[in-house]
Amino acid sequence: CQNSFLDQPALGALNDSQLQSNAGVQTLLVGAYAVLDGVGAGAANPWDAAPGNWIYGSVAGGDAHKGSDGSDQAGINSIMQYSHDASNGFFNSKWKAVYEGVNRSNTTLFYLKKAKDITDADAKTIEAEARFLRGHYYFELKKMFKMVPWIDETTTDYAKPNVDDFKKQNTEDIWPKIEADLKFAADNLPATQSQVGRVNKWAALAYLAKAYLYQNKYQDAKTAFDQVISSGVTSNGLKYGLTDKYEDNFDAAAKNNKESVFAIQMAANDGTNAIDNANSGQMLNFPYQSPFRCCGFYQPTQDLVNSYRTDADGLPYVDTYNQTAVKNDMGLASSTAEKPTTFDPDQTALDPRLDWTVGRRGIPYLDWGNHPGQTWIRSQPYAGPYSPKKNVYWQYNQDKYADNHSWAPGTAINVLIIRFADVLLMAAEAEAQLGNLAKAQEYVNLVRARAANKTGWVYKYQDETKPMAGFSTTPAANYKISVYPDGKFAALGKAGALKAIYFERKLELAMEGHRFFDLSRWGIAEATLNAYIAYESKITTDLTGGHFTAGKNEYFPIPQRQIDLTTMGTTKTLTQNPSY
Amino acid sequence: RESKAQDVLSKRISLDVQGQTVKQVLRTVEKLTSIKFVYSSHLIQADRRVSLSVSNESLSRLLDQLLHPLNLNYEVSGGVIILSRASSQIPVRAPVSGGGMSFVNHLPLIVVTGKVTDATGSGIPGSSIRLKNSTIGTNTDAEGKFTLNLPELKGTLVVSSVGYVTKEVEINNQSSFVVILEADTKQLSEVVVVGYGTQKKKDLTGAVSVINVSQMTEQPTSQITSQLQGRASGVTVLGSGQPGEAPQIRIRGLNTFGSNTPLYVVDGVPTQNIADINPNDVASMQVLKDAGSASIYGSRAANGVIILTTKRGSGKVKVTYDAYYGTQRVKQGNVWDILSPQDMANLKFRALKNSAPNVPVTDQQYGSGATPVLPNYIEPTGAQTVDESTYFVNPNYTSSAELDRFNRIVKANKGGTDWFHEIFKPASIQSHNISVSGGGNQGNYLFSLNYFNQQGTLLNTYVKRYTIRSNSQYNISDHVRIGENLAFSVTDNPRINALTEGSAIGMAFRMQPIIPVYDIRGNYAGSHGVGMGNAKNPVAIQRRTANNGGLNNRLFGNMYIEADLFKDVTVRSSFGGELFSGSFHSFAYPEYENSENTPTNSYTENAFNGFNWTWTNTATYSHTFNNTHDLKVLVGTEAYQNRGRNLGGTTTGYFSFDPNYVNLSTGSGTPTNYSNRYADALYSLIGRVDYGYAGKYLISATVRRDGSSRFLNTQYGVFPAFSAGWRISQENFMKNVSWITDLKLRGGYGIMGNQLNVLAINPFTTYGAVKASSFYDIAGTTTSIISGFQRTHIGNPDAKWEKNVNSNIGIDATLFHGKLDVTADYYVKEVKDLLYNPEMPGSAGQGDLPYVNIAKMRNRGVDLAITYNGSITKDLTFNVTGTLTTYNNKILTVATGTSYFDQEGRRFNGSNIVRNAVGHSIGQFFGYKIDGFWNNQGEIDAANAAARAKTGNASAVYQNEVAVGRFKYADVNGDGQITADDRTFLGNPNPKFSYGVNLGLNYKNWDFSIFLYGVQGNDIWNNVRWWTDFYPNFAGAKSRTAYYDSWTPEHMNAKAPIQENSGSFSTTTVPNSYYVEKGGYLRAKNAQLGYTFPAALLKKVGVQRLRVYVQSANLFTITKYSGLDPEIGTTANTNNSSNGSLNQSISNNTSFGIDEGVYPNQRQFLLGLNLSF
Repeated sequence: CQNSFLDQPALGALNDSQLQSNAGVQTLLVGAYAVLDGVGAGAANPWDAAPGNWIYGSVAGGDAHKGSDGSDQAGINSIMQYSHDASNGFFNSKWKAVYEGVNRSNTTLFYLKKAKDITDADAKTIEAEARFLRGHYYFELKKMFKMVPWIDETTTDYAKPNVDDFKKQNTEDIWPKIEADLKFAADNLPATQSQVGRVNKWAALAYLAKAYLYQNKYQDAKTAFDQVISSGVTSNGLKYGLTDKYEDNFDAAAKNNKESVFAIQMAANDGTNAIDNANSGQMLNFPYQSPFRCCGFYQPTQDLVNSYRTDADGLPYVDTYNQTAVKNDMGLASSTAEKPTTFDPDQTALDPRLDWTVGRRGIPYLDWGNHPGQTWIRSQPYAGPYSPKKNVYWQYNQDKYADNHSWAPGTAINVLIIRFADVLLMAAEAEAQLGNLAKAQEYVNLVRARAANKTGWVYKYQDETKPMAGFSTTPAANYKISVYPDGKFAALGKAGALKAIYFERKLELAMEGHRFFDLSRWGIAEATLNAYIAYESKITTDLTGGHFTAGKNEYFPIPQRQIDLTTMGTTKTLTQNPSY
Repeated sequence: RESKAQDVLSKRISLDVQGQTVKQVLRTVEKLTSIKFVYSSHLIQADRRVSLSVSNESLSRLLDQLLHPLNLNYEVSGGVIILSRASSQIPVRAPVSGGGMSFVNHLPLIVVTGKVTDATGSGIPGSSIRLKNSTIGTNTDAEGKFTLNLPELKGTLVVSSVGYVTKEVEINNQSSFVVILEADTKQLSEVVVVGYGTQKKKDLTGAVSVINVSQMTEQPTSQITSQLQGRASGVTVLGSGQPGEAPQIRIRGLNTFGSNTPLYVVDGVPTQNIADINPNDVASMQVLKDAGSASIYGSRAANGVIILTTKRGSGKVKVTYDAYYGTQRVKQGNVWDILSPQDMANLKFRALKNSAPNVPVTDQQYGSGATPVLPNYIEPTGAQTVDESTYFVNPNYTSSAELDRFNRIVKANKGGTDWFHEIFKPASIQSHNISVSGGGNQGNYLFSLNYFNQQGTLLNTYVKRYTIRSNSQYNISDHVRIGENLAFSVTDNPRINALTEGSAIGMAFRMQPIIPVYDIRGNYAGSHGVGMGNAKNPVAIQRRTANNGGLNNRLFGNMYIEADLFKDVTVRSSFGGELFSGSFHSFAYPEYENSENTPTNSYTENAFNGFNWTWTNTATYSHTFNNTHDLKVLVGTEAYQNRGRNLGGTTTGYFSFDPNYVNLSTGSGTPTNYSNRYADALYSLIGRVDYGYAGKYLISATVRRDGSSRFLNTQYGVFPAFSAGWRISQENFMKNVSWITDLKLRGGYGIMGNQLNVLAINPFTTYGAVKASSFYDIAGTTTSIISGFQRTHIGNPDAKWEKNVNSNIGIDATLFHGKLDVTADYYVKEVKDLLYNPEMPGSAGQGDLPYVNIAKMRNRGVDLAITYNGSITKDLTFNVTGTLTTYNNKILTVATGTSYFDQEGRRFNGSNIVRNAVGHSIGQFFGYKIDGFWNNQGEIDAANAAARAKTGNASAVYQNEVAVGRFKYADVNGDGQITADDRTFLGNPNPKFSYGVNLGLNYKNWDFSIFLYGVQGNDIWNNVRWWTDFYPNFAGAKSRTAYYDSWTPEHMNAKAPIQENSGSFSTTTVPNSYYVEKGGYLRAKNAQLGYTFPAALLKKVGVQRLRVYVQSANLFTITKYSGLDPEIGTTANTNNSSNGSLNQSISNNTSFGIDEGVYPNQRQFLLGLNLSF
């Protein structure tokens, strides 16, 4: 009697035995997908662990300033200047969020083995999806932190070393394990899935190819990319290809199209009266005091904008893009009835992708009207005159795809981890590295040709005072872009071709969280980023004192908190990256 | 009907006893006469055997025969006969004139008459009146009147009565006297309520603070716990000025990393919450501080135990009415030292120039001239004239598209808006209390009703509370008593979450002064507009809560039955607990005036209910052997069960915002809801033995075995304690030291337990579905999500009781014939197996963390309490009470491999303000120590050169992000560079000591008292300065320090660093010593001046007592702290839906003393009256 009086089971929660079933494991698997967005996974704020890596990939890569003003999210200031140390809380947030993804994948695999009512076929698919997700989460860790401990469904001691353990196994790091997970997924997943958010075999193969590329295994990468490019389909059965319009990749109404290889699904107005499932990792990244209200972060750099200048042949200035700056409206007040000010945007030749990537004054900002300049910017002297665009929703369908249940908006725009243009450019890289310059150029030209498709350009409004009434047929700027002429890459040689491919990645994938990791793996981060800081510091104050240190800043530090948490007595389990 | 003394003593009885004990004889007499004797067994040697035979003799004769040989006096008082030892100077008891008898007759005699009354004017029956140095004397009758025959009208009358201070009155040719006796609080408090029983104060062996309740409850507040501040040694109270906010209470320092809330025992019922107890109902309050006194509460005693007893009735029907009404005044002046709008603009220009010296400043609001010019309008930006007809704002908009069309027109407030005084206004406070009480042989009753209404000085914060109490006892027979204590409270108490940047207070120091409260049409103005920052209009924040509210109610109390089974055994069974429920509703209006608006409207409703019960059964055996061995044994069981649930929901999309329209059903948006419940139980066995030898040597042992449902593998814990006392003053060698009335040395050792911080779920690893983080739109619908699971809690089945090992040594001394009372204690507490939920490595994944028995902590300190009663002249008497509390808290272990845990990141770069580290106390501030400014580039270059030389690294720099005018940090570890290792402990929010002094003065009918409270030796982290002293830290209001006392080449001896456009490591992005200030203060918490109308005057209108008073609380404060109020607690819960009755407003934070907009204590002026009839 006494004992039962004190017996108190957990209330409102599931225990071990309730999960050991097909339904339980399937639901755990959805939970493993759910943490792709980095929300509710231990990060201090959703933006710290944003899956699109706007901080670690794009801001650290020179695509964008942190933006806003100097005191807001001060931890990003030092990441932007490469003066960050291991105690910076942002790294800890990202670490925790991604390891929660690993943990949920592992939990799915753990209960999969215990469940009795799952068919072998189903079990294989579940295992493949879980291992794909785990591969993705480890890929994130790998490119951020270099050396990380491997935790799987059999691990019981989580204080595992990130270096020594691998030496014992006579391997260098976790790349083979990432490859094994992605390969298992590619081998065992179906080509199509009943739900478009589930990963399929082609996405897994593309990701595996990407993992090869990151390890400079160009032949393996090429072999896999070839299959993906020739035979790949999306989970909803669409043959992989580039969308006609570049902008469709960034429009919630057009998502899960044929270009979407692996995307994180975002949902707006999902009934939670909150924006947790609506890409809240980018909630800060809207023009300030605009219809989006908050918060003026993630402002593209002048360096990025200049990159879109094109020459008389419609080709980029790969080396000299910063010699002439694209005209901006720094210091010019926005026009008001009281103080009319005029600003004519740059009239020189520009790649049309610029105006789907960067919000700049005088150019239609989707259907929200021409970007007004200073009033949408929190502090021009601090972070420049530009606004982000790819993550912004349209006005006409905002009731459906914007989520206003917060002080800053959420959106239903997916976060693209791999899209087909990315696949083509990665394949081009592999081909160029293997000496197949013509094939590489072919892939690059596919991407440029799509950008050159005039139906996908930004046009002026029919009536600037009624932006939702539609667009005219007059391009918003002097767009000029063309494919590389035949034999151009051959003429450039391997090094020159690679440079062109790298530059194309910058243009095509700007503001999508890739740049820093690309520069780092290409080994050109120091030269590129220090040049960028030197140039950009003349325009804004936020980068003053920034400096990229080679041999150190290619990777971010293992979070100090994690080192502390795994220190036993005085023995550290985790080894810090060099020079941190 | 009260028995008259002469009636009692003239009762005639017959008795024949042979060889019986005195006690037995007295019991027989009690039965025959229905009169009760009150005596202390060892005092009267009750076991001594006597033989006596009387027939139809008066009681007085019988008692004379029985008691005189034993050297005992007796006196009749209020229906009982009190026995006491006759003093050696007077071998024979003064003859009692009651019943018309007198042994001594002097002639001729002069008849004098008089009345003895208490302070309320009620007659005191049975008081003794004696002519000093004679045998002449008498007792008062039932109305307190007496008649005495004196040989001459000279000499001194000595008037005494049990429970009152003896008074001497000069006769001085008077023949009529009114003698007012003052209640002897010391004597009343001699019986101290301790765990599961009572003890005489002189027999106490544990450390117990007995609180002077009447002094304490003078403080005008709804919270008894707030009133406790400074009143009891060893108790630290951290509160604020917010109405209804229960402060954080700590007994003897910090015992755990989680909740340090003590256990409250109200009329024998344990509870965690006394926020709704009516202070007027409290009869006594004791704080059990050491293991010797508190371990009897075992598992729940580690944070200390506060025992409250509520009032009971006695005597004839008495009606009292106590009330006060007053006003609460707000601090005047520019409380945060905010700049004028012109100076704000000047500062902006300076900061922009400092950051980019070569770029000409152009500002959309202030122009591009050499000096800024304030515009007439801030919206449209920088406008001088505006066509106001184009204005369009609809505050009740329902779509984002409509918000986008707003055309706001806002005039610049060039004079500057005083945001503090826009939200803080004078407010009223009132309390009305009525009680009816009475009692007699058959039982007693008390009924009380209290209405308390304190409006907050901050808009729309207040507490309104109604409390009803009914206490009664029925004496079914001489041996069986049944009773109940019940209180019911209804509370409406909207609060804000102060001390955070998002509160209205936080916004008030962030809003730029150029922004007016309202725009040109009377809608709210705000930070919307260029360069106006991102603060939110605090007036709008608070005004929008006007219709929010809720009601909490609680029924709390117990029923008991008590029976005297055999002659020495009493059994008692008490069943008590609480039944509570409450709800809160709020409407969130869409915002439009801010730069960062939430455009949706939503309505939220939360409700909770629950109950818990405690069933206690005890048996007490009490016996004195051979007049020398006092033995008291208590055994018992206690069971506790706690159940509750919470639920709530939110809906959006309201067509109308009319408060009469909105409910959870009328919104058009998707409703969301939640619910949860909790349950836990305790089962305990209790035992205590008290033994006293000849009233000199006292020992006490307690043991308790507790089982808790919150633990799985180790459910039970045993908590023993042992304490002893030596009354040195009873030793023969001390008898001649006349100035020592009583002196006792006490010591104790024992273990107390704690499980407060452990949730019922702690043993289990659980999984659940969480929409925000485990659901996913896996089907790509863009608008809906599918259920997924995640781990919600990580289990630890091995958790067991936290053990607080406690040693205490103390003295109790009464000196100079009771004028001076001193209690002093020194203690050491070591908390072992401290339950803490250490963060797990990120690689383990997420889930709420389990508590494990891992940490260790120690507290040491001294408690001191002193009372002095004195008189300056016959009419002018005074008393002084002082308490002193010190504690030294030290963390000994945090967790394996971890020597600290951090808290309070605020707006820094991920570094925290507070580090709780081994070797330091909880809550210490941590960061870089500022060592002046970099005054020129030469200093920087020299430091870098030194760093390169010292480290041998050619690219080494002394400090990151350095520039002239910024802070230079101290190289604490001396490695030549500023790194994370140079962070150091910058301050300690724990005071070195705190103290309270109460001074009371009485002059005839006037009384005056003042209570001073102070803390010393603590630091405050003034985070308000982060917002106001640094230009780059958001474009909000800045302080005069930022403009007039910041570094410039012309003003290097500055307080703040150079003002720039962006923050840096060397200015504001990391915690540093800039924010640390001394936090000591001395505050006049309370001062009261009262006048009691003469009883004679009142009698004519049927009033027993009438006292009126004027009072001021928080009259003055002496402090060096530059912020609004140096009394800074912790962030408390605000919504009224938190976990049921537990912690409804109590903060469990271990970090404290961080000021980010404190809700200040306000100066209060009150008028009050005490009336009884």
